[in-house]
Amino acid sequence: MEQQDRIMDGDLQTLGLQSILKMLALSGKTGTLFVHSGPETLTISLRKGQIVALREEGVPQPDLLMMLCLVNKLDSARAQIVREYAGGNIQVALAMLVERNWMSATEMQRRLEFAVTQSISHAMRWVDGRFAFHRQLVPMENRMQPLDIDSVLLESLRQADEWEEMGGEVETHLTRTTVARWLPEVNNDVRSLGLSQEYIEVLCLSNGELPLQAIALVLMTPEARIARIITRLLELRLIEVVDTALEAEVQQDLSNLIIKCETTLARQRQSSNPEQHLLGLVHVLSECINGLLAHHSIYAKSLRGRGQVPYMEVVRYLERRFSQQLQLLSSQQYPILETTEFTNGKLDCTSILTLDKLVKGEQLEEFYWEAVLGLAAFLRMIFAELLRDEVGNSHTGRNLNFAWKAFLTEIDQEIQHYQVYRAQRNAQYHRGRDIMQPSPMGIMQNWSNVPESEGGPYRSSGSGEPRRRSI
Amino acid sequence: MAVPTVLVVDDSPTVRKIVQMTLQREHIRVITAGDGLSALTSVADEMPAVILLDIQLPRGMDGYHICTIIRKNLQFRQIPIIMLSGKDGLFDKVRGRLAGSTEYLTKPFDSAELVQTVKKYLVNWQERMPPQYEGMRTRLRRRG
Repeated sequence: MEQQDRIMDGDLQTLGLQSILKMLALSGKTGTLFVHSGPETLTISLRKGQIVALREEGVPQPDLLMMLCLVNKLDSARAQIVREYAGGNIQVALAMLVERNWMSATEMQRRLEFAVTQSISHAMRWVDGRFAFHRQLVPMENRMQPLDIDSVLLESLRQADEWEEMGGEVETHLTRTTVARWLPEVNNDVRSLGLSQEYIEVLCLSNGELPLQAIALVLMTPEARIARIITRLLELRLIEVVDTALEAEVQQDLSNLIIKCETTLARQRQSSNPEQHLLGLVHVLSECINGLLAHHSIYAKSLRGRGQVPYMEVVRYLERRFSQQLQLLSSQQYPILETTEFTNGKLDCTSILTLDKLVKGEQLEEFYWEAVLGLAAFLRMIFAELLRDEVGNSHTGRNLNFAWKAFLTEIDQEIQHYQVYRAQRNAQYHRGRDIMQPSPMGIMQNWSNVPESEGGPYRSSGSGEPRRRSI
Repeated sequence: MAVPTVLVVDDSPTVRKIVQMTLQREHIRVITAGDGLSALTSVADEMPAVILLDIQLPRGMDGYHICTIIRKNLQFRQIPIIMLSGKDGLFDKVRGRLAGSTEYLTKPFDSAELVQTVKKYLVNWQERMPPQYEGMRTRLRRRG
């Protein structure tokens, strides 16, 4: 914007937003008002002293279409059509909904008006910052009927006061960017708690992705009111506040671990024989399990926010949390896991890794095979438990789950690769028993020629299942 | 503001997903390819700002080969290529450099290091886009 177009500028401490807007309205000005505070910028277009458009920068724009779907005001197929054309522009999206008779023009106007009020109310609480008014109008999508500044100011002030009052009444750390999500432990019927429709709607939208501001926008309820409801839902232990910084840290740590294990897995693919292949898989799985345990010792919910927790307490916590599952697996399906134990918060698999000193040949392969299946099952259990505890059903949680599934698929392919080889070997053995004994050389040749096959692992082929035995 | 696109070429779906997740958190658009042929198609279609390229790829076209093809093409030769590999020997790094890679990251890489390296090559990415991609640049601006 050209310097000469600027009519006035100053800082908000000298002249507040309310006074600036009032002045511009009284003088019937046309132009654009820019208000900056920290990373946030508010751009308000005025025509003859009335608000014709507003844009907020520095805060993520909520996906209104997705939110309308969540509150059953729009179906997802329609939302998809509109999204394709409108991109991320809320104004265009709403106009399209009206065009197709999926929303009334009155509702669109109400929603746009509410969004303007919400943004101005937020900006009214800025203490530090600068403003500048330019005579030029910035081109902005404009589907809204011009708004009278006085009525917008009245409502914005009321909402801003409500925030201030709330801060005085209850001790709260909630801001308009706070994100809340359902607690994973809640499994009873929330209707029995006697919550009003408003509370249930906020509860439904607390999915770990939508900030408080977005919830207010879709429900067209003032942010302060939403903050009050969230506070109450927190007291009822139905939701928790998401710590985005912590989630980013959890994601980074788990991503590094998955990449490390994937690299180890890729390296062991070059094994020359099935025994080495299985041993390599045991290595990968035990490394991954211990990596997850080490990660959980830092990020487990019950160990968080307590400062330096004594090491022995962390060890006891991990053993208490996971040893029962390990015992269950070893007693019911994979007796080889009885040889493993928790030592200093790690799963000690030395007995399996040094089995070649005790047994050889086919029996060793059998033991390794069972260990691979057992450890893979244990790994799945640990990850599911860990994710549920640390990030729950949040956006980060779902993302990590997706990456984790990709990694498990790679492990499953390796397992499947061996299963196919095993089935071929058994078939060859049964065929050859009547004719002649199979040569060990033949088996080795089959290993390198096993085709990559489709389908899930652990398929119930008789040859693939580990035989039960006592150790 | 327009969003830069990074192409991730790796045969492992795990690596593709992790890199995608990590970069998306930094508001970087990520497209992926599992083999050489799809990688070259994506380069032509999307004109990525940076390419993350694994060396070992299926279907007979490895990372070195793809790197050489891209470097020989006048339109795409400016795109920074970051090699991702489990091989950390000097020979592999020299080979990567000879094929035309800009940087070499050894697996397992740290996600923070990955982000830092990618961001280093995203500076002025729009300037590197050839004129025939002007339409795409405008589209990206609008999307942003």
